[in-house]
Amino acid sequence: MSHSGHAIIDTIPAAEGRPGVTYRHAGDRFLLVEYGPMKLDLTMNFRVFGLNTALTRKRIPGVVETVPAVRSILIHYDGRTLPPRRLVDALIDLEHEVPAEDDLVIPSRRVTLPIAFVDRWTRGDIERYGKFVRKDAPNVIDGHNVEYIARYNGLDGVEGVIETICATAWWNASIGFWPGLPFMFPLDPRHAIVVPKYNPTRPWTVEGGVGIGGPCVAIYPVTSPGGYQLFGRTVPIYDLQARNAAFRENPILLRPGDRVTWSRVTEAQLEETREALAADRAGYDIVDEPFDVRAYLSFLRGVEPEAAAFRRRQEAAQQRVPVP
Amino acid sequence: MGMDVLEGGVQTTVQELPGRVGFLDLGIYPGGPMDHIAFRAANLLVGNPANTAALEVTAGGFKARFQQDGIIAVTGADTAATLNAQAVPGWESFAVAAGDVLALGHSTRGGFRAYVAVAGGIDVPEYLGSRATFTVGGFGGFAGRALKKGDTVQLGIASAGGRAGRRFDPARRPAYPETWEIEAMRGPQADPDYLTSDDMSFFFAHTWKVDRNSNRMGIRLEAHEWQWARTSGGVAGGHPSNILDNGYPVWGVNVCGNQPIILAADGPSLGGFICAATLVQAATWKVGQLVPGRDAVRFREVTVEEAVRLAETVDRDLFVAVHGAEGSA
Repeated sequence: MSHSGHAIIDTIPAAEGRPGVTYRHAGDRFLLVEYGPMKLDLTMNFRVFGLNTALTRKRIPGVVETVPAVRSILIHYDGRTLPPRRLVDALIDLEHEVPAEDDLVIPSRRVTLPIAFVDRWTRGDIERYGKFVRKDAPNVIDGHNVEYIARYNGLDGVEGVIETICATAWWNASIGFWPGLPFMFPLDPRHAIVVPKYNPTRPWTVEGGVGIGGPCVAIYPVTSPGGYQLFGRTVPIYDLQARNAAFRENPILLRPGDRVTWSRVTEAQLEETREALAADRAGYDIVDEPFDVRAYLSFLRGVEPEAAAFRRRQEAAQQRVPVP
Repeated sequence: MGMDVLEGGVQTTVQELPGRVGFLDLGIYPGGPMDHIAFRAANLLVGNPANTAALEVTAGGFKARFQQDGIIAVTGADTAATLNAQAVPGWESFAVAAGDVLALGHSTRGGFRAYVAVAGGIDVPEYLGSRATFTVGGFGGFAGRALKKGDTVQLGIASAGGRAGRRFDPARRPAYPETWEIEAMRGPQADPDYLTSDDMSFFFAHTWKVDRNSNRMGIRLEAHEWQWARTSGGVAGGHPSNILDNGYPVWGVNVCGNQPIILAADGPSLGGFICAATLVQAATWKVGQLVPGRDAVRFREVTVEEAVRLAETVDRDLFVAVHGAEGSA
């Protein structure tokens, strides 16, 4: 089906085992490929990685780079040598080569990061927020945001939130907005907490601060403003000085397709690890481990009753909790 | 040997073309000059390859002393540049001697960014394949930041091609009006599913004022009450301008809530707002010359085929304007 006069160049309707695809103009050097409807569904993200892998392998002349995101992939191309219609035709052909979700194996790494929960650094940011920005923020309870996350999700206090966050790996769907900032989603739907963002936003967040907004967990690569509910601090994920060997190629630790798991440490242990990493006396815990979508989807089906129970408790809790 | 910075000005950065390409998936926008025409013109005038590292002087106020003889050119916004307090021509190469002081005043006659190219280029280390300064990430260019008083910038070694008195054909010099027309295409989230076709007609018909709060990351335009083709952003957020985060095309026009923002050379790589339009490559240079708080912009819709032809024309015209008048390359 071909369109003219607006942004959509072409579409492929959804079919058994395959989501619909929309190809959109994004100027004379970019093209946006979108999967499925506008909803949060990690299987769409796996599809994105499937296409990304196929694109990398295919090396279409004129394709400069790709930017995977939750349900879309932005393709940077050279319009002088590769007309967009030809690129879309190539992408439609490629779509038949991308395996169905079930058969995808995505290049991925398991990255274990130490985290100090409800740490003094993020509590410091939150204290300043209360002092200078908003005194009566409902998301600040006992000087932090974790109790609010607990109440909003029907969890058992601070410890309940920490257990939930540590119980799942976090899938990094994309890197961006700020250089190196990961957008991570829980792989285990039994622990899929959600929470509204700050209102207004917070002018400060410590480097390495970790927070959640909606369903998405982010790590702040540098000290910066932010709107996510903070729950801890981790090690540097961005280092221009390349003090640690992990940053030798570029200043950014994480890649799209990484799975982050959290290892709980004390503030003192975190400080020690941060120093050791900065001195290159320690390494980051990163293991190559391709992600098998079939195994994952089968896991999802198995835990669906528990995930549904988690969502019901969450929805009931949300009715009783004010939004910032 | 180099150039001692006596005054940094509002924001003077080392830039290079095509910028840092290939790192968008790590959150790194390309950087590079905001006005690729004036930038390349300055380089061609001094005999450099068009993409060579040169200085981008935002809003003027830059002053430097040369430690060595050389050939330079100043293009872009008219900053009433002087050498040892004597006026020097814009868009024309001229010789400087060791000890000479170049000063750029504040642009008052239209345009916002001037470019200073030196035969041999600016010698700063490459970072991730480019010398362009990326102000957001704090890397590239000179120590990852704008120049300031006391810095010494190293200059490259000039090839034989540099000579004084090479002029950019005045008839081909880009005009810097107060109301601009910028060629654009409908963005990935234009009509029919995000904005209405009436919204897009308005977008291409209206003359948008450029907000004072504009920089290398983004150029803010005035807010507007859009009709929207949908009532909310669904899972992505309450407002219909919200989407699940996706990659932003470089030089896209976001709509954040009601406010359109042109994402510029140091913009965010990814985000959760719709992109109503995308400027075409040939036209992005105009954004670099928009005077915040004064100028206004109309967007003219072109097809992707026109956009590609336009890019070829602009590149050819640039070359002809520097070399064609002399009949030699």
